[in-house]
Amino acid sequence: MTHIIEIKNLQKTYKGNVNPSVDGLSLSVEEGEIFGLLGPNGAGKTTTIRILCGLVTPDSGDVSVCGYSIKNEMDKIKPLIGVVPQDFALYPSLTAVENLKIFGGIYNIPKKVLMPKIDSLLEIFGLTTSQDRTIEKYSGGMKRRVNLIAGLLHNPRILFLDEPTVGIDVQSRHVIIENLKRINQEGTIMVYTSHHLDEAEHFCTSIALVDDGRIICKGTPKTLIEEAGAKNLEELFLQKTGKKLRD
Amino acid sequence: MRRFKALIYKDILLLIRDLPGLAMMFIMPLALVILMTYLQDSTFNSITENKIPLLLLDEDQDSLGISIERSIRQSHIFNVDTTLKEERLTASSLEKAVAKGNYQIGIVIPKNTTENIRQSIRQSVLKTFGSDSASTAIQMDSIAIFVDPTTKNSFKSTIISSIQEYAAKLQTGFVLREVSIEVKRLLPIPMGEIEISDDMIGIKEQYARLDQGRLIPNSVQHNVPAWGMFAVFFIVISLAGSIIKEREDGSFTRLMTMPCPYWLYLMGKAGVYLMVCLLQLLLMFLMGIYILPMLGLPALEMGHCYGAIILMSISSSLAAIGYGIAIGKIATSNQQSAIFGSISVVIMAAIGGVWIPVFVMPNIMQTLSKISPLNWGLSGYYDIFVRDGDLLSVLPESGTLLVFAILCVVTAIVYDRKKRR
Repeated sequence: MTHIIEIKNLQKTYKGNVNPSVDGLSLSVEEGEIFGLLGPNGAGKTTTIRILCGLVTPDSGDVSVCGYSIKNEMDKIKPLIGVVPQDFALYPSLTAVENLKIFGGIYNIPKKVLMPKIDSLLEIFGLTTSQDRTIEKYSGGMKRRVNLIAGLLHNPRILFLDEPTVGIDVQSRHVIIENLKRINQEGTIMVYTSHHLDEAEHFCTSIALVDDGRIICKGTPKTLIEEAGAKNLEELFLQKTGKKLRD
Repeated sequence: MRRFKALIYKDILLLIRDLPGLAMMFIMPLALVILMTYLQDSTFNSITENKIPLLLLDEDQDSLGISIERSIRQSHIFNVDTTLKEERLTASSLEKAVAKGNYQIGIVIPKNTTENIRQSIRQSVLKTFGSDSASTAIQMDSIAIFVDPTTKNSFKSTIISSIQEYAAKLQTGFVLREVSIEVKRLLPIPMGEIEISDDMIGIKEQYARLDQGRLIPNSVQHNVPAWGMFAVFFIVISLAGSIIKEREDGSFTRLMTMPCPYWLYLMGKAGVYLMVCLLQLLLMFLMGIYILPMLGLPALEMGHCYGAIILMSISSSLAAIGYGIAIGKIATSNQQSAIFGSISVVIMAAIGGVWIPVFVMPNIMQTLSKISPLNWGLSGYYDIFVRDGDLLSVLPESGTLLVFAILCVVTAIVYDRKKRR
């Protein structure tokens, strides 16, 4: 199997912190996967994704994305990845179309290609009629959908999804998950984090449970649940990470 | 190029959707330039229009008294009275009137002052030519000047100098006349009167400038570039605010996950805000040329070197943009950047000579003004507008502003890298 993402012994301690956020984490993501990076708050999921996206510099370890090292080839990695952050990373005073035109332009997509792509994605995600309203007037679900479209405009090879369905209604979540599955089948690899374990169990093709910056277990959801004798992913999660409250 | 265009498009949209920010950047400086120019012009006029009340008692009624009165009236600084309404004007009533504050200055020219000077000189000349008749010493009374304590020293000096000047002139005239009489007596040859012309040594006052031409500095020449610089630097609030807002709403993070280097992101911002600054300056200059004269103020004279104006405008704008970028990067919240940005610009404007020209400041403030980027910009515009300077003459100021801009941007980039570690 081809490793699209390969992380070896990744280490990151933020300035002023004693405990590392990521502590010797190693994993690989294969072609065609929807990879779930799951864990309690402060486990190191977001830091790992931020390192993979070039937002944070690791202290040590080797990371390659699509065969390029994040140390000195980030400029080659960035056009290949799409990021859907947990926060609505959009310009609230601009319309959905204006936001998407800006992000498409930064991905260097020609206008002739970009405009039909924006129209098609807006239609798929049910936003055509509200495309000229400013983002600040959108509901949470609508913002999540635009947030997702912004990461899909350039047909990325890898899509990083940081809690893409948090705080939205069932309908919006359904549209998002169904379309993500379709996009994955078309060839986009996904790295996904979420606290919706039920969603992750059905959405991810493989998962890694992370705690204290380290991998606890990894494999397909089904295999891991069976091996642990758990009923579902949530039970497995509690078995592996405990019931102690996290900050 | 497509990426840069997208960033420019983004920043233009963000700017035009922020109406209060736009108003602050364009309407406020235009209003300030009208208000401040008008106020300063009125203040300047009040010095000449509201003359200083002066009471003059000329008991001499001869050449000196007449000359002094004429010179005081011709100065156009004083409103001269020679009588009192309630009582007869005497030395004592004059002193009382000044003490009451009715007049700021009172002058008493004692009786026979001219005649006493004349006699004194005559005796002095006769003595010089060996005459025995020069014997009795003349008792001279001094010219008395009563001054209200609130009177400015400059006005007091003006009066004393004028009196001394006319007394000296009169004495010289008398000396020449007496000498010529004695010479005629000793040498019986035909001889006319020696006369001294009033304008033997002329004084021509001119403003210092770098080449020929005629430009008169006034409140417009100061206020238009001064408030132009203030407007340009006031964009730091909008610029820093926009950087922080992008950071807070997460869009900056998204941009940094895209093929968008940080320097390109800064270039996009700088490009849009450069246009804003240049537009602000253009509007200020147009206002100085066309609108201010409609309000009865002098028109802005812009010198002859448009290249120098463009260079100064671009370098001032880039300095302001660099400063805005540094604040936007270092400040942790919008509130912090707005407070620090506005206060620092107001302080830099105050010490840089925007409100009060540097040349009227105390020495320590004049030295301090040299650390303000607004002063560098203002000084460059003075070179062009007031001293009619060219490209070469503004190179030091524009160079300093560009170095400041580079330092600010480098600080922002270094800080950004540090933050990512």
